[in-house]
Amino acid sequence: MTFFTVVLRGLWRRPLRTGLTLAGISIGIAAVVALVGMSRGFEKGWQVGLKARGTDIVVRNKTGGLTPKPFDASVRDRIANLPRIAATCNLLVQVTSVEDSDLMILSGREWGGFSWSNLELISGRMPSDATEEAAVLGQTAAEILRKKVGDPIQIETKELKVVGIVKGGALVEDGSVILALSLLQGIIGSPNQINAIDVRATPGTTEQQLAELTRQIQQLAPEVRALTVAEHLSHAEGFQLIKAMSWGTSLLAILVGVLGVMNTMLMTVFERTHEICVLLAVGWRRGRVMRMILYESALLGFFGGIVGVALGAVGVKVLTATPAIRGLLQPDLSPSLLGLSIVIAVAVGIMSGLYPAWRSSRLMPSLALQNG
Amino acid sequence: MTLPSASGPSFLEAKGLTREFDEGHVRALRGVDFSINEGEFIAITGPSGCGKSTLLQLLGSLDRPTSGTLLYRGISVPDHPDPAAYRAREVGFIFQAFHLLPTFTAAENVQIPMFEIDRSVSERRERAFELLKLVGLEKRLDHFPSKLSGGERQRVAIARSLANGPSLLLADEPTGNLDSENAHSVLELLIRLQQEQGRTMVLVTHDPTIADRAGRILRMKDGQVVSDGKP
Ligand SMILES: Nc1ncnc2c1ncn2[C@@H]1O[C@H](COP(=O)(O)OP(=O)(O)OP(=O)(O)O)[C@@H](O)[C@H]1O
Ligand SMILES: [Mg+2]
Repeated sequence: MTFFTVVLRGLWRRPLRTGLTLAGISIGIAAVVALVGMSRGFEKGWQVGLKARGTDIVVRNKTGGLTPKPFDASVRDRIANLPRIAATCNLLVQVTSVEDSDLMILSGREWGGFSWSNLELISGRMPSDATEEAAVLGQTAAEILRKKVGDPIQIETKELKVVGIVKGGALVEDGSVILALSLLQGIIGSPNQINAIDVRATPGTTEQQLAELTRQIQQLAPEVRALTVAEHLSHAEGFQLIKAMSWGTSLLAILVGVLGVMNTMLMTVFERTHEICVLLAVGWRRGRVMRMILYESALLGFFGGIVGVALGAVGVKVLTATPAIRGLLQPDLSPSLLGLSIVIAVAVGIMSGLYPAWRSSRLMPSLALQNG
Repeated sequence: MTLPSASGPSFLEAKGLTREFDEGHVRALRGVDFSINEGEFIAITGPSGCGKSTLLQLLGSLDRPTSGTLLYRGISVPDHPDPAAYRAREVGFIFQAFHLLPTFTAAENVQIPMFEIDRSVSERRERAFELLKLVGLEKRLDHFPSKLSGGERQRVAIARSLANGPSLLLADEPTGNLDSENAHSVLELLIRLQQEQGRTMVLVTHDPTIADRAGRILRMKDGQVVSDGKP
């Protein structure tokens, strides 16, 4: 028999309670995995989307947000001639409801701009020119909206025709309704307004030169903000909000987990006064008794973490398959997030065991062994 | 201050031991003095509530006296530098209610005290087997306490008390929960263990026939030793 056997035996004593505590921690950890995994996936999706369009720098309004406020299209004329800028493309992007879908990305792209060029036709054709009342759908968007080539599609007050289904090389692209910029500006009644400029740098531009370029753009157009793709995403208020909310909710879930384990371990200590007194009476050091309790609670955390990670991963898969958010994100279930979640779970276990362990070590062995 | 005897400090020595409970309302021990030599078999008797168990708990360092001194080979028991080591290595405690751990088998119960001693897993297992064989339970190694008879449980407890080869056996009514047949054989086992290995044994009992087997009897009353002598 090893010390570890003793620890395990302690958990086996009350299988039902151990099981319930495990369930408590698992749910907390599952929440961490699901929420953080989804918010990270959301962020990554946009990043991949921008990269797929060949974008190195995004120029947008100073106030952040997922779909920032519009600004005047003339900004582009001021910056387009900077060295190292290979191409620019004006955009007006909105996340809005389209027909049955509450969350759909509407992407108005300057006709002829490079942001069109990575789109690969699966069926149908591209719009013939900027004036044709037509849109192409990313393949996921087409699935969600249940559209095929030739169908009409209602955008705000205007009915357009779906002329093509495209593959964009990224989730965000695949989940978008894509149309000519001037057409979208016309539909929402704001000609000359854009809310982003995709900037592509000349090939071979280093990260440092990119950073320098953002400063130059900033100087020429002080009313906007130029950010590299990575910066753009970490600055966007929307992402920060999502991140904060997902961690906030997770922390709450973890707190509930902590209380659950602490309760269990405290009850264990009260219930096991007799056992602990016997252990002390036969010569166990207080440190060993404390370690036994701490190992038990750490182990609860560890098992809870494993179950929680599995639950969370499955939960995320199920959630992202629901119509409401399908196509918007690909969950990030990276090993680092899963590992972090298990580390959190073990830490939760240890923290919850500290007080009960300390309590247990204060016991006087005679306490429970009074009557002979 | 008494002069140390020629043979050095006595094995166990108590002077003016008191133990009060409930802020002095209960005075379980009211000044107990005695001296015990190594290898002695001593019985403690007395009416219920006179403080026998309380005294034994102090000897085993399961509890602390309110005042007085208690020395084991010249070292203070209440202020022992390493009380856990004293309990683990020097003392084997046997209780009337056995106090086995219900979630561990007989062999595992016997191994529990061995964690404080540097022994490998297989050494622990072998030693537990030898000890259970010594008390006649080599066929009950993997039985949980709930599957053992009272007599068998007490034998497991005795094996456990011997786990780390203690010099001092403390038994509090070890046969109190047993029928006469089992009581007899457990007592014989304890006496055999005490004699064969030259251990010191302090045994608390109500039963005069058991007390008569000891080499010396301490009679207690109202928290004090009222007589000390041969049966
Ligand atoms: N933890 C405690 N708190 C309060 N009083 C106690 C406590 N332990 C023992 N006592 C009291 O101390 C006195 C001595 O108790 P003790 O258990 O030592 O008696 P005993 O001689 O072993 O009796 P018995 O033969 O019935 O076992 C009793 O009056 C008992 O009620
Ligand atoms: Mg008693």
